[in-house]
Amino acid sequence: MTLITTRPGAGAARPYRFPQVVRRGVAGGQVVAAHLPGQTLAVALLLLDAGAGREPGGKEGLGAVLAKALEEGTAQRDATAYALAIEALGTELVTGLDWDSFQVSVQVPVDRLPAAVELLAEAVRTPRLDPDDVRRVRDDEATALRMDWANPGPRADAALRADLFGGENRWGRPLYGDPDSVAALDVEDVRVFHSEWFIRPGTLVVAGDLDRLDLDALGAAAFAGTGGGPVDRGGPIPVVPRDGRRIVLVDRPGSVQSTLRLGHPSPHRAHPDHVPTTLAGTVLGGAFTSRLNHLIREVRGYTYGIRGDFAASRRFGRFAVASGVQTAVTAPALVEAVGEITRTQETGVTEEELAVARSWRAGQLSVELQTPRAIASALATLVVHDLPDDYHARLREELLAADVDRVSTAAATHLHPGSLTLVIEGDAALIRDDLVATGLGEIVTTTP
Amino acid sequence: MPDSGYPWPIETTRLDNGLRVVVSEDRSAPAVAVNLWYDVGSRHEPEGQTGFAHLFEHLMFEGSVNVAKTEHMKLVQGCGGSLNATTNPDRTNYFETVPAEHLELALWLEADRMGGLVPALTQETLDNQRDVVKNERRQRYENVPYGDAWLRLLPLLYPPRHPYHHATIGSMADLNAADLATFQAFHTTYYAPNNAVLTVVGDASAAEVFALAEKYFGAIPPRPEIPPAPDGRHVPATGEPAVERVVTDVPAPRVYVAHRTHAFGSPGYDVVTVLATVLGSGRGSRLYQRLAEGERIAQPDLVGAYGVDLAHAPAPLIATATARPGVTAERLGAGLAEVVDELATVPVTATELDRAKALLSTAWWRQMSSVEGRADVLGRYATQFGDPRKAAERLPAWLAVTAEQIAEVAADVLAGPDRVTLTYVSEETS
Repeated sequence: MTLITTRPGAGAARPYRFPQVVRRGVAGGQVVAAHLPGQTLAVALLLLDAGAGREPGGKEGLGAVLAKALEEGTAQRDATAYALAIEALGTELVTGLDWDSFQVSVQVPVDRLPAAVELLAEAVRTPRLDPDDVRRVRDDEATALRMDWANPGPRADAALRADLFGGENRWGRPLYGDPDSVAALDVEDVRVFHSEWFIRPGTLVVAGDLDRLDLDALGAAAFAGTGGGPVDRGGPIPVVPRDGRRIVLVDRPGSVQSTLRLGHPSPHRAHPDHVPTTLAGTVLGGAFTSRLNHLIREVRGYTYGIRGDFAASRRFGRFAVASGVQTAVTAPALVEAVGEITRTQETGVTEEELAVARSWRAGQLSVELQTPRAIASALATLVVHDLPDDYHARLREELLAADVDRVSTAAATHLHPGSLTLVIEGDAALIRDDLVATGLGEIVTTTP
Repeated sequence: MPDSGYPWPIETTRLDNGLRVVVSEDRSAPAVAVNLWYDVGSRHEPEGQTGFAHLFEHLMFEGSVNVAKTEHMKLVQGCGGSLNATTNPDRTNYFETVPAEHLELALWLEADRMGGLVPALTQETLDNQRDVVKNERRQRYENVPYGDAWLRLLPLLYPPRHPYHHATIGSMADLNAADLATFQAFHTTYYAPNNAVLTVVGDASAAEVFALAEKYFGAIPPRPEIPPAPDGRHVPATGEPAVERVVTDVPAPRVYVAHRTHAFGSPGYDVVTVLATVLGSGRGSRLYQRLAEGERIAQPDLVGAYGVDLAHAPAPLIATATARPGVTAERLGAGLAEVVDELATVPVTATELDRAKALLSTAWWRQMSSVEGRADVLGRYATQFGDPRKAAERLPAWLAVTAEQIAEVAADVLAGPDRVTLTYVSEETS
């Protein structure tokens, strides 16, 4: 047999261009669009400054409940008629919530987009919010969270977040709230949140064949009947890493795996170190070839996978590592994961690792930004973080230009292995003694 | 919308060693998707070797004669690519999307592990990936409520020795017993060019791809006799419904109703696809309207129905609902069964049919909106139906389904005696 033994080199690089961005003011709101010639489908996404960060303390889950309540009937039609009308166009109403924004979107064949945007606006601007419906949706959402919290993960995530940011702060509580906070919401909370944040115009993001779309008409439909201007979004929130490591043990009797969530606070999105920090995170835990995945999965076989990254919103950020490891190896997996974080902080990254990380991140810009949904999401990033139209082109250059010194410095500055909160959700009776023996930090047991 | 479900060019060739090559050029983005479908899945696994096809998929990332261990991932990600692989009862596929200038690298990597895996396969690698797969099993199936539903449904739907009787993830006992020689033989038997389809979609011409395919894959010898999987096309009806009740640690009662229908790709399965959408996709579906909205006995986020697109035997249709607090499994199960039964007796309206077809159209075009989505579809149709061009027929076939056909198929395959019902109840409420 003759296989070719020599690895082929790259052909001539072909330039990647992010689609041309069109921005215009329409009817008091902003339309931000990208032209995708020939695409059969188009996406419209309404972006509102109504992220979880806008929820008052003690009212966690408000946005998630309101998202569900939007589809329980509008001023014009009941819930069933609404579902049939929008699904007859070939789309469901897709809602999304993060710390910085609330997003509602539709995806349809391009000629149906005007009708879909009208229905989207009808639900967002004029939901019925009948008290009985809101209460039922709230109860269903609390039940859905209880179901979700029966899985490994959500309790560990909540414990990590609370330890990093303080449970007394909104950003120290789960993004979607928890079963109790949702169950405690009342109808008035939901109606007030809607009137405060859902009738401001916001931004309509459109990704599709613009030759076949009238952006002014889409904007007019999305912003009809809206009022009120932008509200100050606040600056970065200073978060101090904790003094010393601690282990938070979340008991899950009978668990055949232990869920690991390790983390500490990190810079907000607009921090000048964002790109090198992202690359340091990629080398440590962001790609399949990362240090953590290589050691914990490929060498040790402790897990199906382990990932670590820096995530940043407008006002705060966090570094976190997540995995599920076989119960019997919980302690060694934890020790080795902390060891890799420490090594990366102390000695930085190598050129060989960084070469993979930066080409991967840069190449992903051409590989991942193909579909209308992906382009719409990229446009939403521009809007939420006040980024320029040529952001993706500049990002590519900045990624490729990041050198070992810059990335190693970011690792040294923004990794804090001595301040890690180590959350372990697993069978406490089986793993507690081993965790104590690691000496990685004091152990606190929680039952959130 | 275009009349065809695949309005892009398709060109095909077959190398002398039997490797089929499919190319669909599209210059709209500087990316190219490479996809290999190997016609081997868990349906080929004999008793005692469950989970081997999937464990083998893992081994394919661990190095081959000219690619060192861990290098495969590093090279693909290091050129900006995305990659993965999946195994199901029918087949195993491997795919990467890379910036177009790295097409040749992707083909070299795929050829090296098709033609040169066995010499690089070590006991250490096998042991390591066996542990990884066992952790995958724990994470996906054992450590989550209802996680083993699929593992329980399959043996209820398909009799012992049927190729779909066991789940692709396999049993812990079989995984523990896996030895190196078996895996070496597995590769020799099934990972032959004449048992594979190579599809390339995106920023590359057919001529360029055909030449590169010949250069990298052309010297890999074919295997003359590839043993087929057991034939599962005819599954004798037992005449008795299958019922299983699982008492375990779950947060709420849940019921699955499942039926064997028709094989994916057949006209009957096109009807099932539309039927499943009418029944259980979206808030306008019958299940949502009746159980979540109307009677309010089911949790709205956890009610639905779907077909599992398997092509080598009657494929499953699965409908499921999870109880609202205070609702018993019995009441929920009765409600679910009633809605499924009514597909044969209460005609599907034009509104229901149009809604289902609109949702399916969007789903189809969503799959087509990326080069990797298209590559996977073309690989499937070339592997399972002998011609990637047949992919264009699927959407029009869905759009031609009538209400009468849905009632006929429902009466034919969704009858009570052919039903599988799997119910989970929590330890406290049982």
